[in-house]
Parts: sequence; C-alpha cells; structure tokens
Amino acid sequence: MNSPKDFTASVGADMRVTQKRVLFVTRRTSPQVKSFDEERVQAFPEALIRALLAIECLFIVLVFLSLFFNAPLEGIANPTNTPNPAKAPWYFLGLQEMLHYFPPVVAGIIIPGLLVTALFVIPYFDINVEAEGFFLRNYQRRLTLSMGISGALSLFLWFFDVYVALVPTLIIAGLMLLAALSSTDSPNRLRRYLASRPISWWIMTWFLFELIVLTTVGTFFRGPGWSWVWPWRS
Amino acid sequence: MQTKKTGFLSSLKAIVCDPFTMFGVVSAILLLLLTVAPAKDYLSEWRGYQRQYLTFIQNRGDAVTLRRHFQGGINQIWIPQLDVVDRCQTCHVGVGEASLADVKQQPFRAHPPIPHKLTEFGCVICHRGQGAATTVNQAHHSDMTGEEPILPARYIESSCGQCHHEPLEGTPKLNQGRTLLSRYGCVNCHTITLPDGSTMQATDFPPPLTHIADKTTREWIYAWLKDPAAYSSTATMPNFMLSDSDASDISAFLMADSTPDPADRISSPAASKTPPADPTAGASLYGESFCASCHATQNEAGNLVGGTLGPELTNVGTKVKPAWLLAWMRDPKHYDPATRMPQYRWTDAQLNLLAAFLENKTDPDFVANVHLQPATKQQIAHGKELVMENGCASCHEIPGVPKPENFGPNLSRVGSKPLVQLIFLPGMEHSLPAYLSGKIRQPRAFGASLRMPKFNLSSAQVEAATTALLSLTDRSFSLPANLQVPSTPQSHYEPAGQAGQLMSSLNCLSCHSINGHGGTMAPDLSWEGSSVQRTWLESFLKNPNTLRPTLIRRMPKFNLTDAESTVLTDYIMTAYQTPSFVRDEMPLTGYSPALIEKGRELFYSRYACQSCHMVNPNVDKGYIGPTLTDVGARLNAAWIFHYLKDPQALRPGTIEPNQHLSDDDANALTAFLMAQKGGAGQGAKQ
Amino acid sequence: MMPSTIETYFNKIERTRVWRSIFRSGTGNSTLRNALAIQQNVFLHLFPTKIRKRMLDLGATWYLGTLTLGTFIVLVVTGILLMLYYHPSVPQAYTDVKDLRFVVSSGLFLRNLHRWSAHTMVFLAFAHLFRVFYRGAYRAPREFNWVVGVLLLLITLLLSYTGYLLPWDQLAFWAITVGTNISSAIPFIGAKIRFLLLGGNLVNANALLRFYVLHCAILPISAVLFLAVHMWRVRKDGGLYVRASEPSAGSTHQHASEELKKQ
Repeated sequence: MNSPKDFTASVGADMRVTQKRVLFVTRRTSPQVKSFDEERVQAFPEALIRALLAIECLFIVLVFLSLFFNAPLEGIANPTNTPNPAKAPWYFLGLQEMLHYFPPVVAGIIIPGLLVTALFVIPYFDINVEAEGFFLRNYQRRLTLSMGISGALSLFLWFFDVYVALVPTLIIAGLMLLAALSSTDSPNRLRRYLASRPISWWIMTWFLFELIVLTTVGTFFRGPGWSWVWPWRS
Repeated sequence: MQTKKTGFLSSLKAIVCDPFTMFGVVSAILLLLLTVAPAKDYLSEWRGYQRQYLTFIQNRGDAVTLRRHFQGGINQIWIPQLDVVDRCQTCHVGVGEASLADVKQQPFRAHPPIPHKLTEFGCVICHRGQGAATTVNQAHHSDMTGEEPILPARYIESSCGQCHHEPLEGTPKLNQGRTLLSRYGCVNCHTITLPDGSTMQATDFPPPLTHIADKTTREWIYAWLKDPAAYSSTATMPNFMLSDSDASDISAFLMADSTPDPADRISSPAASKTPPADPTAGASLYGESFCASCHATQNEAGNLVGGTLGPELTNVGTKVKPAWLLAWMRDPKHYDPATRMPQYRWTDAQLNLLAAFLENKTDPDFVANVHLQPATKQQIAHGKELVMENGCASCHEIPGVPKPENFGPNLSRVGSKPLVQLIFLPGMEHSLPAYLSGKIRQPRAFGASLRMPKFNLSSAQVEAATTALLSLTDRSFSLPANLQVPSTPQSHYEPAGQAGQLMSSLNCLSCHSINGHGGTMAPDLSWEGSSVQRTWLESFLKNPNTLRPTLIRRMPKFNLTDAESTVLTDYIMTAYQTPSFVRDEMPLTGYSPALIEKGRELFYSRYACQSCHMVNPNVDKGYIGPTLTDVGARLNAAWIFHYLKDPQALRPGTIEPNQHLSDDDANALTAFLMAQKGGAGQGAKQ
Repeated sequence: MMPSTIETYFNKIERTRVWRSIFRSGTGNSTLRNALAIQQNVFLHLFPTKIRKRMLDLGATWYLGTLTLGTFIVLVVTGILLMLYYHPSVPQAYTDVKDLRFVVSSGLFLRNLHRWSAHTMVFLAFAHLFRVFYRGAYRAPREFNWVVGVLLLLITLLLSYTGYLLPWDQLAFWAITVGTNISSAIPFIGAKIRFLLLGGNLVNANALLRFYVLHCAILPISAVLFLAVHMWRVRKDGGLYVRASEPSAGSTHQHASEELKKQ
C-alpha cells in the first residue's frame, strides 16, 4: 500500500519484433474499459487523415460561403440612432426573446445562470446510468409528477403570455404522455423509442426544442419594437 | 457502355472509400475554390472600368498624354483633416482631364470647372455618396447609417452652402431657397442654428392680429384661412387645410380676441364716399407714389405687376375696412410698429383718392358664399384651442396666445438626416431630397395629425427650399473653422436722432441698406455722403424721379417738407462717409479743358465707357450702366476718382470693371465726368 | 509511375538527417512507427495512438468535435491576418473594415471567412454538446471532460460575442449594448460588472479596446489551453465513448471485465 510501486515492468529486447499491449491496473488509477478487444486502427494515419478530410470538407463549404455571401456590415456605430429592432447575435436571440417576457433579472440572469449551472452539473447528477425508460418503473408516481410539472410550467408560461415557449412545452408534455401510454414492445417504432427514453433525455429534449424555437422566433419572426412579423411578408 | 459505367462507378467508389485518394481529390477542389478569391479580385468592378478607360482613350488623338496620366490601381484623395478618403477617381479616371470635358460615356467625363481644386476637398463633401467604396452600388447608393447616397445634381448647390453662409453668385438656387426659408416663415416654427451659432431669422413680418377686427371682417378671415391662395396668389400664409367648422371657430376667436384701436375709428373722413372728380386720379397717385415697387397687383392679362416686399393688393378692397385703410395709410407704424411700409406724407385729399382707388380692387366671389352664424362661447374657446394647436402665434402676434417654443422640429442638421429615420410614402423615391421636397409640397400626406401647413410654392421654389435645407448638414458643423465663410453678421444699425426718427417713419431701411442693415431693393447708402453732392441730394429727396427715370421700381416721392429733407440731407452728408478718402479732396469744378479733353478721349477710345454708359444721349448707346449726362452735378469728384480706380472697393459686387487706371487717367476721366452737368446736348463743356 | 516517383522522393526526404532530427518516429509504415508518430509529437500526443475502427464511421460522432476544432483553426489563421489590417480605435476600426472590403486584396473574402466560420463554430459547438449528451458520453469517467466542454462552449460564445463588436458598425454597437445592458440587471453588482466589461458606462472606444484584447488574446489563449485539456482527456478517459448497449465487434462489458480479471 505504502510502497511507491506495486509492480515493476520491463521491456524485452525483442520489443520491435512483437508488440504486446500491457495494461497495469494499480490502486491509484482505474481506467474503465467499456469495450475491449474490439477492432482498432492506428490513429496515425487512419484517424488523422479522416479528421483532416472532414475539416477540409468543412473548409470547402466555408470558402464557398465566403466567396458568394458577404458578411453583413451596417453603417458606422451611432449611439444616437437606435436601429429598430436592435438584435443581439443569433445565439443570444433565445435569451432576448425571454427578455421580452420576463424582467431582466429573470430572463437575463436567473435563466441563463441556471442553464449554465445545469449544464455543468449534468454528469454528476445522472443517477440513471442504465438509462432506462422513465415510465418503466414507479409508473403512477412518475406520470403524476411529470404531468404535474409540465402542467405547472405550461400554466406559468401561459400566465406570462409566453406562447412561444408554451407550444414546445405542450408538445413535449404530449410526447411524454404518449411515452407513458406506450410499452417498449410496442409495434410502433416511435412509441417503442419514446417509451425507452430516460428522464434526462426528456429534459434535454425539451431544452433543445425551446432553444431552437426561441432562437428561430427571435431571429426571423421579430420586427420593429420586437413585434411579431412574418419573414416571408416583407 | 455498361462495363464502362460500372468501371467508372467502381473507381468513384474506390476514391470515396480510400481516405488518402479522397484527401487528394478534396484538396484539389479546395485549391481550385481558393483561386476564386484572387480571381474575383482581378475581375472587380473598378478594374473593369480602368480597362474600359484604356480602350476608350486608345483611339483618341490625345491617347499618349492620357495614358501617361493614367495610373492603375486604387486612386484616392486623402485629406485627414477633413476626414476624406475618396476613391471615386479609381473609376472616374478622367475626372481631371480637361480634354475629356464633353465625353458622354461615364464614368470618364472630366469634372466641369469649379472654383475649387478637385484635390482640395475631394468628391464626397459636395456630391455625398461613400468615398471609401470601390463599387458603384456602394459608392453611389449606400444609405446605411453614416452614409448618404449621391446627391442628385439639381441639388448640388446645397453643398456650397455647407461652408458658404452668404449668398454666392454661382448658387442662385441655394440663395433663393434660403430666402424662402426666411420669407415664408419656416424659421418661425423650425429653429435653424447655423454653424457659427447664430439662428436663421425670418424676414417676413406677418401682421399682428391684436386689432384684426378693425381691419377686416370675420367672413374674410374665414375665407382666407380656408385658402389664402384664393385671395392672393402670392400669399405667404400657408394653407392649414382647416375644416369649415374649424375655420369658422378660429375666425370667431380672432374677432372676439381683437381689441379696438381708437385711432382706427376717428380717422374716417366723411368725404371718402364721394367719387373723385377724375376717375384716373387714384391710379395716377398709386403710380406716382411707386406703390408698385413693393406691392403687386394683377393686371387685366392676369399677370402680377409689382414688388413682393408688401402684400399683393389685387383684391385689397375685399379685405380691409375703409376706415382702417385710411388710418393705415396715414400712419402705418401706428398699427404695426414693425411694418416696412413707409409713412407717406399724403394730404387728406390724396388719402381719400388712394383709399377709394384701393377699395375698388375687389373680388366679390371671395367672400360671397361665406355665411357664418354668430359664434357661441364654446366655438370661440375651440377656436383658441385650434389657434394654439396650429401654432398661429409662431408667426402672428395674438393677444392671450404666447408664441410657442420649438413648435416644429429643429432643422439645423436636417440635410444629414439618416434615411432610416424617415418614413416614406408608398411609391416615393427613398432619398432625402425626395422626402424633403415631398414634405414641403404635401406635408399633410405624411400623416393626418401632422401640423405643418401647405405652402403655396412652385416646383422651382420647392426645389430651391429643398436645396437650402440640404445644405444644413452635420458636416457643416464639423468642418474646420478656417473653411467656414460666415454670412455677414446681422447688423441692427438704426440711424439716431431727429433724422433717425424721420428715416424710421420713412422706413428707408426697407429698401436701402445702411451699415449692413436693411433691404436690397435700393442702393446701399452707407457711404452716400461721400458719393453725392449736397445740393443734388437735397433736391433728390424732395423729388426722387430725376434719377433713373426709366426704372419701374423707383424711389417714391414721400412729400417731404423742406425742413425734413434738410435734416435728412445734413445727416446723410455727415454720417454716411467712407473712411477710405476725404470727400472734398478734389474740387467739383475748375478742371482744365485739356484735361477734360484727355478724359473724353480716354472715355471714348481707350476705355470705351460708352458701351455701357451714356454721356451724350444722342450718340451713345450704353444702357447697361447708369446714365452719366449729369453726373458732374450729382457725384463728388473724389468719389468718381476713387471709384474709377477700384469700383469694387466702394460698391462691392458692382459689375463695373476694374481697369487698373493710372492716377493720371483716373484724374482725366474724373475731370471729364465732372464736366457733365446735364442739360446741353453736347454733354461737355469745351 | 508518378505516384511512385513522389513516394520515393518523399522517402528520400524522410531519411535525411534534418527530417529525422525533427520527426523521431522513424520511417516506413510499421505499426510502431505510426504509434510513435502520435506519441513523439507534442501536438498529436494529445490523441490516442489507436482508436476503435467503429468510431471512424461518420455516423458514430458526425465528426462534430473535429469540425469544431477545424473552424477554430480557420478562425485563428484568418483572425491573425485580419489583425494586420485592424486598429481597435474609433472610428478607425470601422474604416479599416471598409478598407478590407474595398481595397485590401481578398480582404472581403478574409472577413467573410472569419465571420461565417465564427457562426459555424458556435453552431457546431452546440451541436457537439447535444450529440455528446444524447450519446450519454458525459457519464463517468468523462464527467470532467464534459465540464471542460461546457467551458469551451462558453469561451466560444464569448469569443464570438467579443468579435461582434470589432467592426464597430450599427449591428455591432447595438448588439453589444443590448447584451451588456442585461448584465446590469444583476442585483447589487450589475452596474459594476457592466462597467468592468465595457471599461466605462457606455459602449465606446474603451469597450472596443477591451473587447479587442479579450477577443485576440485572452479568450483564444484560454480556448487553446482548454482545447488541449479537452482532447487529452478524451484519450485519458478511454478514447471516444462507445455505448455499452451498442452492438460492437464481439465484445461486451462482461467480456472486458473477465479479460481484466484474467490478467
């Protein structure tokens, strides 16, 4: 236990002739090997060339974009002349959309703060390592819980007139209900799939859905004074 | 065929499946795509224009010179102090080549001659547009914040107005526009601050409405409010597009608000109704008094004849009450201390004659269909509200209604207003000039709640006003101070003392300018005392018809008493002298005949003065300059001498050419001119 | 004929003293040499020497991490080139961007490439995050690498956001004004944080300089550091994640543990 080394290792003189992968498991390190003995390839050059190829393909797309689509450049910054609407970069438009509904402390600080914290702690709170379907155990309790929470959330959003966020919430809640009413042996592929989704999947999917909808709305459907516009009608 | 196809497919498959081959292929595609970037650069618009230019000059006679002047690549004018980076010459290659002046093909035409060098200010300061850009679309049409599209050529004079705040000879449209902004009372509602910190002043003097009930009827006010242009086509009062009831309420309020002026009532002489013995006597007096110098009337052909200083009098009989008219003509300043109308010293008989003549100038149709019910209290109160809402007190003095502050938007920088801040009408051209002229032409089209009234302006006037507005740019404020050419500072000179009172009652400054203050219709009198001889001036003031008898607008006869004209003459001879020479340094008479003869020769042969002036009306044909037949009796010798030496120094802006005379020549010419005392056909004493 | 000529020529270079002094992995195409090529290279040794063949498939990872790295490389290269033409001062910054567009050879292309790559990188980073989540690749022992990944996402967003101000156009100015105004909503210290971010109370030349330094020095260096950690941890945490439930070539979880026990 207290000895600095639990083992000694040496390499034979014929190392170059035959190679053998040796794994030392000590008390201090414990690499988890999930699969083993699977066919492997050398990273150089097999993986690297593919990575390079992927990057090159992406680069071709970017070069093509850059050659034929110009980056936007407006007039010089003028503090006295506010464009209407003044929009943040696209990836913050979901937040800006929330700012439209909630006070800045909520939409600008609490919600993104919670999101970032949630993202950071995800791996430490993933109890359900086996990732089994949410409704496969404690069916009654979990159904009540999930429907209760999504119902409360929907009411909250409805109360603040946040229809943009309400619609995805309702859709996800509907899908959860469908999952609860389905079994993993269902002949329908979608129902089989939904029934086997764990709770973390439901939460993340809801978040992703909201993110996409809010960002899309903020980017394309908001005009002067953050009013609703139809992008195809201008 | 079949095998070939499968062969091709399998080789394609081999490429896709083998990452190394694939890498080669993709790299080749990438390299190919990357070459597009420099290719796009090479095929850029401006290079195209430069190639076109080289082909264009190839077949010209001056090809060698032009090619030597040609420099490929980006050409720019860079003036850091003015924040100018103008790359216009990159495409407008021939802009500095005088030989390309009449070229039709743009962008290669040479710039027309202007008073400035092209490199002095660059292009954008005058033409606007985006100087840094090297594509036509961006350079000419960009309307993003901080950038302006090219200014249409018909408004180009506005750019001169960014530095030049005084009227320039080459910018008639800008000058006219500025005059309109002042004359039509635009600046009564809109503040216009100039770069030197002064504000633009109105030059119209709308009558105070304090005693309006004495002057006219409610019916006339109603009809006038509804459409001022229907009463007089030259009305500066705009049309407020009032509804019938609103116009009725406002007229009711104005009548109720008016206080009677005692002088207006007692002035009515009983004889005013009796027709004059001679039906043409009134018209003659109107003509003799040169009323038409300031007031216009419509003649039978429908043309307006007369000046614009005072209101049009075509239908004045419909407007004013007889008693008021008499009181007004007797002493205009009593009714309106700010009026520019002089006080003629007419006799009662003359007053009646003129009043009767003017009362006959009527348009019965104007008020024929106006039948107003007596107003209720509510209507009067509503009328007052309307008067405040429409900002009537911005121009008129109305008892109980204070002059509103900043009634209209400030226009000090309207010429740089970003297009994004404007709301255009559907189908309207998206440009600032189009917006401004549209706003002047049809202000209410931009929104029913807007208060700006519709002015009675012609298209040319609208264009001129737009030009003047476009000159009010941000840049005019940011230009270095040494580039600013300020307008002559506003002078508030008023003559003093007894003569001053006299001149105020005669309103000399309505037409004449003295020490920088006054009108422009008649000559500047600042140095009149150095210029003319005392005897001539005294007789002239009593009977002004002697000078320039051919002019339509002439100094009227004010019927001065001897005492009055002596006071005036004394004052003018003493107070209005030029500091540049002593008036009496040269004698009025006593020049030797030889000198006079030498002067005559110089006059007729060397300097050919007779091509513009007349000394002997039987022989000379010069009509451009003043007649000199009696100049020796009118002007001082020293004035003539110094005027001949440098005309512009004594009369800025005169077209008299500076011949750079030697003292001897000037002396001889003076002697010759002083010999012209009028009368004799010979014109000169031998 | 041609390829083999190139190959022999390349082999000759590989055998020169200079080449061997730089690349110590030796010559030839042996497994050892390929392993050494990774190990002996300071940059490549962040990657494992061998990876599961299955993970080379497009469907396994969609190469999202690789592509994100790719955009980052493009951004660094174009960003350095853009720095040659740019002054972080008002209003010079804007005219510099105009000059890039109108007079610098291929300047417009360079700026476009930087701009589109930046947007793509943000998008790819998000995609990478969600892909990793849905595959469950954040579970132990990869928890910390997930945290590093989230950190990298935040750095990416900040990089993009700070870069947004640099052209000093209306879009930039108002996006930053809107964004930084949110920070002043933080109770008690909001205004202070905003002051710190902008170097003043308004978006002006100070803010531009501050954002420039963040965008060109602080954030890219942090990104490089965390990227190194991120990729190194992929190797240390057992390579690219393979789901236990996923069918794989004749090996199971139990099988692996048994193998371990045997040893």
